[in-house]
Amino acid sequence: MKLRLSTDLVTGLLFTALGAFAIIYGSRYPLGTAARMGPGYFPFVISVSLTLIGLVLVIRSFFIDGEKLGVIGWRPLLFVLAGTLAFGIFIDRLGLLVAGILLIVAARCADRDFKLVETLVLAATLVALTGAVFIYGLSLPIKMIRF
Amino acid sequence: MDLFNDLALGFSVALVPVNLLYGFLGVLLGTMIGVLPGLGPVATISILLPFTFGLQPQAALIMLAGIYYGAQYGGSTTAILVNLPGESSSVITAIDGNQMARKGQAGLALATAALASFLAGTFATLVIALAAPTLAEVALQFGPADYFSLMVFGLVAAVILAHGSVLKAIGMIVAGMLLGTVGIDVNTSVPRFTFGIPQFGDGMDFAVIAMGIFGIGETIVNLERTGATRVYMQKIKSLWPSLQDLRAMLPPAIRGTLLGSALGVLPGGGPVLASFSAYVLEKKLSRHPENFGKGAIEGVAGPEAANNGAAQTSFIPLLTLGLPSNAVMALMIGALMMQGLHPGPQLMRDKPELFWGLVASMWTGNLMLVILNLPLVGMWAKMLTMPYRFLYPAILIICCVGVYSINNSALDVLIAALFGFVGYLLYRLQCEPAPLLLGFILGPLIEENLRRALVISHGDPLVLVQRPISLTFLALTAVLVVVLCAPMIRSTRDKVFAEESS
Repeated sequence: MKLRLSTDLVTGLLFTALGAFAIIYGSRYPLGTAARMGPGYFPFVISVSLTLIGLVLVIRSFFIDGEKLGVIGWRPLLFVLAGTLAFGIFIDRLGLLVAGILLIVAARCADRDFKLVETLVLAATLVALTGAVFIYGLSLPIKMIRF
Repeated sequence: MDLFNDLALGFSVALVPVNLLYGFLGVLLGTMIGVLPGLGPVATISILLPFTFGLQPQAALIMLAGIYYGAQYGGSTTAILVNLPGESSSVITAIDGNQMARKGQAGLALATAALASFLAGTFATLVIALAAPTLAEVALQFGPADYFSLMVFGLVAAVILAHGSVLKAIGMIVAGMLLGTVGIDVNTSVPRFTFGIPQFGDGMDFAVIAMGIFGIGETIVNLERTGATRVYMQKIKSLWPSLQDLRAMLPPAIRGTLLGSALGVLPGGGPVLASFSAYVLEKKLSRHPENFGKGAIEGVAGPEAANNGAAQTSFIPLLTLGLPSNAVMALMIGALMMQGLHPGPQLMRDKPELFWGLVASMWTGNLMLVILNLPLVGMWAKMLTMPYRFLYPAILIICCVGVYSINNSALDVLIAALFGFVGYLLYRLQCEPAPLLLGFILGPLIEENLRRALVISHGDPLVLVQRPISLTFLALTAVLVVVLCAPMIRSTRDKVFAEESS
């Protein structure tokens, strides 16, 4: 038997987890009083609300049939995120040229019709264009090549 | 006459060649990206935001507004030509617009959309010029308690119009408010939820979140959709409407303009609500309602005028009260804050050239839209046929470079990747990301004003109901909550009962 989770249940669990985490992590900030709120007061109220909303969603999901969570397409998800992360990791160390090409090659792997030559040409073109626009056009302090 | 002087000041700013140029660039880029299927105004503005970073506030604001109109219009073009509305406000246009295109009237439908939008834009600009100063005057009387209640009202109103589950929308708002608390607390200098990362001291950057969710997240979502969209279309001919067509489109365009301009002002209102209401209105008024859905020109003129009118008047609460009424305006407020500007009644008083320049540029922007789009429509149609496999890498690299360039921070890119994942997750969970953004923007303002109000009243919470303005907004909020809960409870009960009886 395949268990299919409803979106309500998963959303509710996430809200509850986030809220609970914020309550616990935020407990180190002084609450103060309603009249003189400390830094912890507002976050506490919000986290409690979020937790409650999450719990209501979870409970409700047992009584009402909501939309089910579909199948997750791992390929685009992983490759797009990997490309973005690679860009973030290498932009300071190696510069736009390497980081940009890595991003685009990874991103194109997310698609099923990956062609190496086409991807490399695309990567070169896009890196050149963004470099021209952002570095020379808008004079933003980004380095093309860095070691 | 004051209005005349103010507008003259505005045009003296808007007509400076540099500002005209940035307005033009904004409209051009906005249309270019907005035309692409699947990219609505929020995504378009997020992606193009980095282009405005290096500009002066004045030019940046004019360009952003141009991007917004361009994106709106681009979305309509896509809706008409290929029936792929990139945003919810052009879903309505797609109904009859695409039918017109199938009958070989694509040119006429596009011209109708452009002319109706221009009419609405002109009128809405005048509405802003007339209403904003008065409203700002009133807003100057607002104390912290009034602002608190106003913003709570704005958030609750936003929930009403979110599609899908109300509970999820509220949760998204609250989650956004929680994200907004990250950073050093202004009153006590205690760092909150910074996890020891010094960069988080100033809070999360709004643009990083927006680009992560709408740029990176939506790319993943689009890639995942299998059976990629086949784009096909007919040749566009006879762009110019005949006199008879003009006569047919004028009354609905005028009605749409009035309706849209009125609805755009409401918090939580905006283009979607406006175009939908205008369509319903036209169908009711029409002597041939059976033509609707089969290519009725009224079904294009009315909603297009309405959504453009609303797009413009939704600037009113933003510029006079500092209240963003929808996701696009939340982006605008975020962009303004990055320029060091805080929208609100003081903006008009302290920086009249900025305010009136923007108002005047709304009109020039709309004019450019017509001039640009009627001749260039063939080019936009070509953009539509560009394969997605070339497009999304371009979107990704613009987002990455853009996010990096906000603070020259590689960490921001990693955070944007995280929010890309969040955006994807939200899509799968059928949670609208827009309320998250509104909560993120409004949360800190709500906290700030609430704390200030309570300090002033020496901790007496009754201050919230003792001030008439504040009381009014709280009462309105209560009405909204009742309106919101009534059908929800009923439908939930119906569902429960239905299950029990079956």
